[in-house]
Amino acid sequence: MMRKGGVDLRILVLLALVMVSLCVVPLLTSDRYQLKVLTLVGINVITVTGMALLFGFAGQVSLGHAAFVGIGAYTSAYVVSTLGWPWLIGPVAAVVVAALGGFLLALPSLRLRGHYLAMATLGFGEIMRVVFVEASAVTGGPDGFSGIPYPSLAGLEIDSPAGNYWLVWGVAVVSMVLSANLVRSRSGRAMRALHGSESGAMACGIDVTAVKVRVFVLSAALAGLAGALHAHVIGFISPASFSLHVSVLIVAMAVAGGTRSLVGPALAATLLTLIPYADAVIPGLSRPLLDAIQAYQEDAYGLAISAVMLFAPAGLAGLLRRAVAVRGWRLA
Amino acid sequence: MSLLEVRQVLKRFDGLIAVDGASFEVYENTIKALIGPNGAGKSTLFNVLTAFDSPDEGRIVFDGIDITGFKPQRIVRLGIARTFQNTQLFEEMTALENVMTGAHAVTKSGMLRGAFRLPSAVAEERDIVEEAGRLLRLLGIEQWTDVYASDMPHGLRRLLEIARALATRPRLLCLDEPAAGLNTVETATLAEALYRIRDKGVTIIVVEHDMGLVMEISDEIVVLDRGQKIAEGPPRLIQKDPVVIAAYLGEDDSDDM
Repeated sequence: MMRKGGVDLRILVLLALVMVSLCVVPLLTSDRYQLKVLTLVGINVITVTGMALLFGFAGQVSLGHAAFVGIGAYTSAYVVSTLGWPWLIGPVAAVVVAALGGFLLALPSLRLRGHYLAMATLGFGEIMRVVFVEASAVTGGPDGFSGIPYPSLAGLEIDSPAGNYWLVWGVAVVSMVLSANLVRSRSGRAMRALHGSESGAMACGIDVTAVKVRVFVLSAALAGLAGALHAHVIGFISPASFSLHVSVLIVAMAVAGGTRSLVGPALAATLLTLIPYADAVIPGLSRPLLDAIQAYQEDAYGLAISAVMLFAPAGLAGLLRRAVAVRGWRLA
Repeated sequence: MSLLEVRQVLKRFDGLIAVDGASFEVYENTIKALIGPNGAGKSTLFNVLTAFDSPDEGRIVFDGIDITGFKPQRIVRLGIARTFQNTQLFEEMTALENVMTGAHAVTKSGMLRGAFRLPSAVAEERDIVEEAGRLLRLLGIEQWTDVYASDMPHGLRRLLEIARALATRPRLLCLDEPAAGLNTVETATLAEALYRIRDKGVTIIVVEHDMGLVMEISDEIVVLDRGQKIAEGPPRLIQKDPVVIAAYLGEDDSDDM
């Protein structure tokens, strides 16, 4: 069964299978460490979904995205921990403040293109990192912000690893589904049009600057949401969690994942997040090997990304599309 | 009644005058060609008309509204659409999606409605798909519906760009060298398509080098030379105009005429 311009039914079945297996993971393992690592994967999937919209669909670059994750994390931690407001307000405030940050950065910078936009966002990331260190009354300074409470909904604290896992992956799946709807909608076409040809987009009556600002804000909001979840699930944040290194990693996930795809970047986020925690998914991994991986973490990232780009220049999404095309499926 | 009025438009580039006080009118439901030797200022004038460039002096009036200095997205909403000399298609979108994107200006679902697939957005999307399909059929390229623009042959890409422009529901369609790189069969198909479009009530301005096509399809021709209008009138008068012939003979590439 194939709907015109739609997704193959078999793809939907495949997605349903993925969702079900995501759901049952906590029933198969009660290992706190394993669940925590897989929860981190979910958090990064949320961030990379925002980056995929910005980079993969709209063709814009941000080398300062960790700053938005940080803004979200500190905002939610401050609102819930310091101000003592109900938990749900934390992530909502995180999304709002991160989106506002995205808007303020987007207004001047999106007049820039390519390398210049990259430089502006890089500068923003560095400024925010300094702010996280210096504004110690709010952020706890270089020592970080600790004792951030677990998420709680309707007065019920979600303190179990399985609960956090479900919460984060629930948010991740909803973010991906809404984003998938978005890219196939009128606004999504406007975003993709920017990537294709700005002149062509203008000729279609698309306000190029407005669309750039919107997708930038959306992408910052998703990063802020991920940051808030990160803060509450881990319970501790510090400026190091939101450094340039993290920004580069977010871009790397989107690039390795491939353009015009949400599934590819989510897969890449999964793989790259798991590298330093390889022992969580590979049971028999020897201690010295794990130590080596962690010691050479950056090199492992570089190697993984190079491998993807070398063997699949169109990213993991390209690989998926090819695999699917061989069977005559269509991954729209 | 004139749909478009170009009044004394002047455009300079670094002290060089590209368009020097050109004036003309375009009447509703006609095809007007803009021709002239290389460097005559056709492309500059074309970009000024479509708001991709703003004039240093002069006014552009569309349907009684002074649109001088408007942004392209605003012009599109008023009913002026354009194509490009170097096609500006969305290569990583299918032919259908390209035309659907053209409907942007005449539809309105925002990000939230799209992300949550609200009934209004879904209904609008269905209309967009239907209209895009209709336009692909109008241009005779419906068998390319699900093919990526990058995989389409050159001649059909030009037709696709026209279909995308029509999706903005224009009253005035501006074509920048639509026949460039087309063979005779493709050019004939293009001419047919332009007649069909005009018969649907769309006024057309075309900048074109292919004199055969220009003489065949235009109701009126404006001839530019060195930024100035040197002649205006129906094809058979322009062909015989000694000033026009002199202008074309004066350039190296004189086999155009």
